[in-house]
Amino acid sequence: MGKKIDERIPQNSGEGANFKNYYGIRSPWNKIYSYQEALHYASRFESVLSAATIQALRIIVPDYEERAQMMCEEAFERLYTTGKYYGDDDGFGIHPFMCGQYAGALIGDKGDDALLMCGRCQDFGTYRAEKELDVCDWDICGSELCRTTTMSLQGQAKASAERRRKGPEIDYMMVEAKGCGDRHCRIIAESREKYPALPHKLWESFGPAVTDDMKKYTEEKDCIDESMMFREECNYHFVNGTNNETDSSNQMINMSTGASLYILPAIAETVKRGYVTRHQADHILKCVLEAAGKAMFGERYAIKACRDWLGVPSSFGEDARVMGALIEMLLQSLVCEYDVESFNKDEVVLIIERSGLEITATKDMPEIHLWMWQGMVKTLVNAQWSLWEEKSPERKMRIKIAKKIDKFM
Amino acid sequence: MYKNIFKYDDMKRSEHMAVRTTVGWYFWTHQLLEISGPDVTAFLDYMYPNDITSLAVGRDRYTTMLDEQGEIIDDVVIMRMDKERYWVSTLYATKTDDWWYFHQGNFNVEWREITDEWEMYAVQGPKSRDLVESLVRDSVSNLKFFAHMDTEIDQMPCLINRSGFSGEKFGYEIYIHPENRDALEALIKPAAEKLGGKEVTEFQVMAWTLPTEANYYYMRDLAHTNPFETGLDKNINWKKEFIGKEALLEIREEGPTREMLGFEVPEPDIYIRSKQYGGPGEPVYLSGEEIGRVSKLVYSYMKDVNIGYILAQKGKLHVGDHIQIHGYEAVITEKNWMN
Repeated sequence: MGKKIDERIPQNSGEGANFKNYYGIRSPWNKIYSYQEALHYASRFESVLSAATIQALRIIVPDYEERAQMMCEEAFERLYTTGKYYGDDDGFGIHPFMCGQYAGALIGDKGDDALLMCGRCQDFGTYRAEKELDVCDWDICGSELCRTTTMSLQGQAKASAERRRKGPEIDYMMVEAKGCGDRHCRIIAESREKYPALPHKLWESFGPAVTDDMKKYTEEKDCIDESMMFREECNYHFVNGTNNETDSSNQMINMSTGASLYILPAIAETVKRGYVTRHQADHILKCVLEAAGKAMFGERYAIKACRDWLGVPSSFGEDARVMGALIEMLLQSLVCEYDVESFNKDEVVLIIERSGLEITATKDMPEIHLWMWQGMVKTLVNAQWSLWEEKSPERKMRIKIAKKIDKFM
Repeated sequence: MYKNIFKYDDMKRSEHMAVRTTVGWYFWTHQLLEISGPDVTAFLDYMYPNDITSLAVGRDRYTTMLDEQGEIIDDVVIMRMDKERYWVSTLYATKTDDWWYFHQGNFNVEWREITDEWEMYAVQGPKSRDLVESLVRDSVSNLKFFAHMDTEIDQMPCLINRSGFSGEKFGYEIYIHPENRDALEALIKPAAEKLGGKEVTEFQVMAWTLPTEANYYYMRDLAHTNPFETGLDKNINWKKEFIGKEALLEIREEGPTREMLGFEVPEPDIYIRSKQYGGPGEPVYLSGEEIGRVSKLVYSYMKDVNIGYILAQKGKLHVGDHIQIHGYEAVITEKNWMN
């Protein structure tokens, strides 16, 4: 098998034809999807991957409370520490006179919108804040993640507050969570000085809120499904109310996912705390992710839909190019650079920049993807085909998709 | 349902009413840029539409900052410290810094952010003068509105600026070095209490309820509007060149298409989205036709009613008109609820 690249539509197709340039993703067969569609695709794919990853964590730490508490502790400490050293108050619209932890809500508000978790801020004050989300792609990952994200916000809010004059401490709670089946996610943050309540452990960050009667519940008919930065009525700008504006070129999907920001660090924490060895943790992750990958195309209609989405020519049978093309679409959506070394009916070889997949600088993210893809190829193509890494140049991941017989597979 | 977050909140009410009836003080540090140089007056006069050349040393001036399309991108208070040195108080320092940099051209000016060198305390309300007088070495009784002076409080150097964002006739800002912050607070607190005043701690009171009641704007209210739409065109100096002038002249010629209006919602416990929290604001309907969006919705403790601003199509609405917002009846009003 040589390094042959079968005929593809060139990436510069259209140049000189007076087409307007715009950022989008393109399959090898010229199926083009907008930047917006690409972000949604990447967001949901990474969420599915994250949902699988958290199953590994559930195997490692079976007890819900123990697991959730550990995740919350890890995220709180890490985001507090990074928030202390890499704070960007100006960037979040946090003004010098904003004393106390409530201003941390501005960090969460901006992050939500960038991660396509659209909704609305309902209250923003020194002693109380409320944010309601209509959409959260992470809603399939499990309620532990909902608790953990809340405590990461608590950590960031604390770090942010310490840079300014002392003000009220705020208890951030996710009193409704789409991950628990609620219609919305709802963060209510309350000062215990003004709204007294009994103290709780970090993982018990679900409320109830003292100010429940102040909450504003958005009815289904008024719910939205796009972030401000993709809505014409918002002029394609996220605005947080303190004049912080972010336009639609903001790209967050490759900056934060459930797996990269919370779940894999939590698994690393289980190793640190002695629940498992690193080798055991990786073994569990690999088993779970391969299974999750296989489940993605277990039904024939899923394969048909995927081929249609990619624009696979009907003359194509079951070969590596289908899987390779799907990976390319994800990589483009994540703005992860890669080269195509070969792309033919016998094999596909992609050389991927590891840094592009190491979302939030989480070093094991490329392997997580690799294991998931290995499962996917088994059902999207067929069981004769495998996907593995070999001969990777430094800081790159060279993946090969080809037929392979392995008696220990 | 939708319990009003202002109306029943005794803490917010008491902090707000302290300013209206006695005196309220609060930590109100903004971002501060110090700009100086031989061309500084000419530079600022070009950057801002209101006249800077006539600003005397020791006086302040409020002005918007516009982009080339005539849209408001910031509103600031400029304080003339010396002949060739100004302070610019903003909440947009990072972007202002870039904006100045890109427009500096051949102007011989230099600037730096001095936010970390000065804390600012607002002292607002009918008894604010009494409170400040009880603290300062030199009397402020002759200090005019939008004027500042150097003095000391308990041997701590400070700058007193007669200004404010509350709409009160008497209001002062105390600028002091950060290392003296705790010492100043230790003096202000009992002095205010002695006058029946108190500290304002709630962001919503200092930034939203007090200013809105007095027809002041806060940041987001002005974004993507022009001075004609917001009534901030009156002090523009049309005789000079400034960024945004060409666009504004066109708008003046054709007439603005929108206007900022006041409104009240009599029903207390409501759910109406407004731009102050981000997002586009709730649509406003007149006889079934969408004619604007809600920019701001707060509460007037003076009038005990929900109040706010809407940005609506020009000429469609008049004071007294009834409109519908998210199923609630509202009434168009003047933008001032102080009296």
